[in-house]
Amino acid sequence: MQDTISLCLMLIPALPLAAAVLIGALGPRLLKNYSHLPLILALAGSCVCALALYREVGLEQAKSGAQSIAGFEKVITLWTWADIPDAYDLRGTGATAADSGPRAFRLDIALRADALTAMMLAMVTFISTLVAVFAAGYMEGDRGYWRFFAYMGLFVFSMTMLVSVSNFALLFVFWEAVGVCSYLLIGFWYTKPEAAAAGVKAFLVNRVGDFGFALALFLIWCTYGTLNYHDSLPDGSVDAAALEAASSNATAGSPSDAAPAGPALIRGVLGQRRIAAGDYVTGGIATAICLLLLIGACGKSAQFPLHVWLPDAMEGPTPVSALIHAATMVTAGVYMVTRCTPLFAVSPTAQLVVACIGAFTALLAGLIALTQFDLKRVLAYSTISQLGYMFLALGVGTFAGVTSGMYHLFTHAFFKALLFLGAGSVMHAMGGVIDMRQFGGLRRLMPHTHWTFLFGCLALAGIFPFAGFWSKDAIFASLHDKIHELDHEIEHRDEHSHAPAVGQHEGAATHGTSADLHPSPLPKGDGTSPPGPLAKWSDSQLATSRAVYQWLYYSALLTAFLTAFYTFRAFSLTFYGDEVIPHEAGHHAHESPPLMVMPLGVLAVCALLVGILAISNPTNWGTNRLVDFLAGTPSLAAGEIALTKVPEQFHLPIAGISTVVAVAGMGLALYMYLGDRSEARFLQRVFDLQGLNRLTDPQWVLGLERVWWIGATTRFLRRNHLGWLVTLVGYVLAILSLILAAPLLVGNFVTPYKLSLRKFYFDELYAALFVWPLQLAAQIAFWIDRWLVDGLVNLVGRVPPAVGSLMRSLQMGLVQFYALAMVLGSLILIAARLYYAAG
Amino acid sequence: MISQQLLLTIFLPLAGAILMWIIAPLGRHAARVVALAVTLLTLFCAGQLVMNFPPGGTVAADFAPTDAAWLANAGNLGLDIRFSVGLDGLGIWMFGLSALLFVTAVLISWESIDQREPLYYAMLLLLEFGCLGVFTARDIILFYVFFEFTLIPLFFLIGIWGSEDRRYAASKFFLFTLAGSMLTFLGLLAIVVWDRQTSGFDVFRFSIAALTESLQAHPLPREWQLLAFLALFAGFAIKVPLFPLHTWLPLAHVQAPAAGSVILAGVLLKIGVYGFLRFSVPMLPEATATLMPWMLWLAVAGIIYGALVALAQTDLKKLIAYSSVSHLGFCMLGLFALTAAGVHGSVLQMVNHGLSTGGLFAIVGMIYERYHTREISQLGGLARKTPWLAFFMVLFTFSSIGVPGLNGFAGEFLILLGMFQRAWAEAPPLLAGQLLAIAVLSVSGVVLGAWYMLWLVQRVFFGPLKEPEAASHHEIHDMSWREIAALVPLAVFVFWIGLRPGDFLSRMEPTLEAARGPAAAAVAAETRSTKSEIRNNTVISKAANALPDSVSDF
Repeated sequence: MQDTISLCLMLIPALPLAAAVLIGALGPRLLKNYSHLPLILALAGSCVCALALYREVGLEQAKSGAQSIAGFEKVITLWTWADIPDAYDLRGTGATAADSGPRAFRLDIALRADALTAMMLAMVTFISTLVAVFAAGYMEGDRGYWRFFAYMGLFVFSMTMLVSVSNFALLFVFWEAVGVCSYLLIGFWYTKPEAAAAGVKAFLVNRVGDFGFALALFLIWCTYGTLNYHDSLPDGSVDAAALEAASSNATAGSPSDAAPAGPALIRGVLGQRRIAAGDYVTGGIATAICLLLLIGACGKSAQFPLHVWLPDAMEGPTPVSALIHAATMVTAGVYMVTRCTPLFAVSPTAQLVVACIGAFTALLAGLIALTQFDLKRVLAYSTISQLGYMFLALGVGTFAGVTSGMYHLFTHAFFKALLFLGAGSVMHAMGGVIDMRQFGGLRRLMPHTHWTFLFGCLALAGIFPFAGFWSKDAIFASLHDKIHELDHEIEHRDEHSHAPAVGQHEGAATHGTSADLHPSPLPKGDGTSPPGPLAKWSDSQLATSRAVYQWLYYSALLTAFLTAFYTFRAFSLTFYGDEVIPHEAGHHAHESPPLMVMPLGVLAVCALLVGILAISNPTNWGTNRLVDFLAGTPSLAAGEIALTKVPEQFHLPIAGISTVVAVAGMGLALYMYLGDRSEARFLQRVFDLQGLNRLTDPQWVLGLERVWWIGATTRFLRRNHLGWLVTLVGYVLAILSLILAAPLLVGNFVTPYKLSLRKFYFDELYAALFVWPLQLAAQIAFWIDRWLVDGLVNLVGRVPPAVGSLMRSLQMGLVQFYALAMVLGSLILIAARLYYAAG
Repeated sequence: MISQQLLLTIFLPLAGAILMWIIAPLGRHAARVVALAVTLLTLFCAGQLVMNFPPGGTVAADFAPTDAAWLANAGNLGLDIRFSVGLDGLGIWMFGLSALLFVTAVLISWESIDQREPLYYAMLLLLEFGCLGVFTARDIILFYVFFEFTLIPLFFLIGIWGSEDRRYAASKFFLFTLAGSMLTFLGLLAIVVWDRQTSGFDVFRFSIAALTESLQAHPLPREWQLLAFLALFAGFAIKVPLFPLHTWLPLAHVQAPAAGSVILAGVLLKIGVYGFLRFSVPMLPEATATLMPWMLWLAVAGIIYGALVALAQTDLKKLIAYSSVSHLGFCMLGLFALTAAGVHGSVLQMVNHGLSTGGLFAIVGMIYERYHTREISQLGGLARKTPWLAFFMVLFTFSSIGVPGLNGFAGEFLILLGMFQRAWAEAPPLLAGQLLAIAVLSVSGVVLGAWYMLWLVQRVFFGPLKEPEAASHHEIHDMSWREIAALVPLAVFVFWIGLRPGDFLSRMEPTLEAARGPAAAAVAAETRSTKSEIRNNTVISKAANALPDSVSDF
């Protein structure tokens, strides 16, 4: 390939793959304990390529600038995966005129370079390089050393491909491929039954998500007649000049003439020309596509209701948790939804669902994380929670929302990888123990880990000026702006009543292209009110979404408080208090070797700086350089989403509120866990409703009289011949306790504390709802198979012998009988002949 | 020259079988070496044929055709029965796969067969002769002869070298398939007779190409089409096996020796799907269009039911046997979706299933050779002791559950896409609802498939090491070079089809389009006529237009 972009684009996935193959081939015999070297070198190479790609894309974006139709993209095709001509005819389906005509089912292995891909590639390769270095220390002495690095190379290959392919089918391919790597790495220590089971669970839950994703792909294929993101010619060519010529031809000739000949240009689902024209199917189909895609995203990004696999995935080696289950793979869902922004933009319902799922997951995971004792599980739930934030941001649906989601994805990758590697460092020193009750006060033993972990915690809690602060604030700000915008629309709607009242009726009309639907009825005087999508909404739609987004904002604030709390709870439990070291750690509990501390240091610096670096644009303070870069992605550069782009500004009040909330959470955690932790135990008892339980205990109720003021009262009453009152109260209490006994027994399992500790019983619920019924169905099906289906077959099999035995009884060897039969037969024949002749 | 090579390829195994009879006195080693040499030579010839096959597929004439009078005008009966063989896009990959799998079959029988080896290998070679013949035959009688001929060697393979219950299994398998194929023969004869009546020729023609052409020009009356379809269905559906005619399969698999299972799953089941696509679909397009929803329901029932029953199994072989029921359901689903993607996926999936399930049965055979048990509960954690075996097991499992990048994905994705396209965009309006239900249910079969296979791998290969008591007496070795050599060729194709399915699809494209064309056109005609009927009725038309958009905003 001639130019830098193409070269980099191919080298980035190729290097890790080559390393994986090399390690797989030579690892067991030749490389052995040096198996990490090829991988680290390859990943570093990929990282350099990715940074170069980032730079090149930035330059190209600046160069193409205004004259491009929708951002900048560059596609290279490697080979044709499959090509079935005339597989589908879009005529007569719901497709728009420009898409109609026979289509081949053509899949090219195509890679793309654009801003979104460049950012993801840079992030993935950078973090994976550091994790590989860490793992070289962490996995030392493991008998599967080479196997680990081979899998990891395979994962980085799949992940980099996932973000750089330019086709939905290939996205699905690598979507599943990262799932397979995840399965292999979770079950890396396969002799541990929990690890093997966790791998299967992760794979299956992801398969449920993929079920939705696959349906979404099929629906996209049926609707748009292609699975490519990019525009291409029917022969798969993506040459820019040829595309331009073809597209001008298409516009010159009238669509009706062109239709029988087939389209000269196949406009990709997320192609620049389609985005610029806003030519998307709306209405029910759009919503269905988006929701099905969302199911897929929920599976991969561990969002409710498919979040259950991620905590179990912590059975894998910790570097894997850091790389796959925190920084990269689990963000694939966020990446996918961002990539599909034009699809989501035409379905406000889907956006609202995305936001609700995100906010709900964030809160749910935050609540569970409060009480977990496994350090890695706390971090796992915090990952789920932070991913929830990202989905919330995506669900806001404005330019600011989507980009803030990606921004949070970017910063989160650094500080969450840092936290996981820190946990790995602790685990390494503690001899594999990760239960925070079994160790504590490690700050003197592991000073480097302590400090770097603190940086990660501050970033996660969103404390100024750490990375998490900036990105979380961006999400809050976008949410706030959205509410503001909805308010504005509600208030000023009456003033524009002359604008076409495209309310429920036409708004729900389907197959309309959205391009002709926003004639911008609003005056542009007010900078904060973009014209367009909102104008089509009905009043009730506006009111509903206003209310929903408002609640989501509060819920997100609560989650921010919880985040800060559980983060510093874990931090205090691990590094403060009395120094406790489990006996598994032996006598040589120590700080991790430099090989492991170095990545921690680098990531800690990143956790501090990536936020500021993006924000501190010297020429225009307050704008976000990363967001400006991302704005050149075709999916974000044109269409409805671009209309919602407003000048960025830093919201001081919003940042203030979220900071106050975060500091409060942090302060409370430090107050409760830095000292003797009696308050924490007290709170635990309160939330476990332990006082209420005693009501059902008669001994405790009888013992109440020993409490001095109760005793004095009863004695006083009895002395004054009011003993019956005491008895009455006693009876009432007894009856009350009888009534309460059953609920309280159940309540023992569902106290707020236990709900959080037992993860809201999701695992048990799913087992009861899906796993057991299916296993029962399996047994029933097996029974049916053995006794009914096969029984029927065997019954049929009995017929010939039965008939045969009947016949056998006829052949008794009695000559008289044969003669009789013969005479009877002849008579019947003659009779029939006569009857026939007469008739 | 090429034609002779095809003849050579088909008859080499037969020659080998006869040779086996001659060298029988030389004993075990000679028998297996000769068997390996013959299968390798056959594979070499077949491979050359496949490589020379035109990359764009065959359009009108077959590749490497041979056409000679065989029983023509025997006794002046006017029967134009010919010895006619050739390769086209439909048969080419199954032909190649058969040649490949028999090498594997010989290699995995190497040690495990320890009695009457010459007879065993002779039977195996005869079976190969039958398999190669059935996919190349271009004459109905010849096809039917090969079709039935495959039963005989397999009957003996199961009946002599099988496990405890082998007699029952062998006779059930034999009678079940035979009973069905009798009806199939009746159906084929009906087609031949109809051709004689309409085509104007004075002889009964048996050439498949001629019959297809003639039946498309003068289709059978609708009722006769349905009857003929059902007659053909009887034989082919049992062979596939389509739910609920599958009960012979698990039994036969469990009792058969490993090589028998490999061939049974890898090649013989595909004859059913092949038969549908060779005869039923192109020759009886209207019946195909009419019965499409029924066939699809049976297919999806097989997918889900097979997967559920597989989930309940405690026997390694039985589990994989039921997984075959599920996978063959996918083949039938794609085939009767009658969309380009679906039919291509279906034929590709025939090959994929042969590779992955063939590999899985071979691995189960290797486990059985080591531990003499097939009970899942008696095994565990084998990955530590036999890492290579675990590697191949995981690989073929991934292939079987359709992990992308491996072959299973290519087939399943095309099938499901094709099915969804039929249901969503190209369904007759009255059937749209149930077709969509079928499409969605079949996608859920993919989740179940992953469940039982991964569960199997987890139980047998992961976790702490668990071996049956008896095995502790002798040392358990990892795979030998011979065993690796048996699986590596399959693994190569697992990757090849996964990464470049286009190489395989393009070679079958014209044949499949021709085969599905009339039936697809019949469905389209039905769609158009019902649509216009609906359009005449304005009330219903509004409902139909609103149908796809019923999920409205808010």
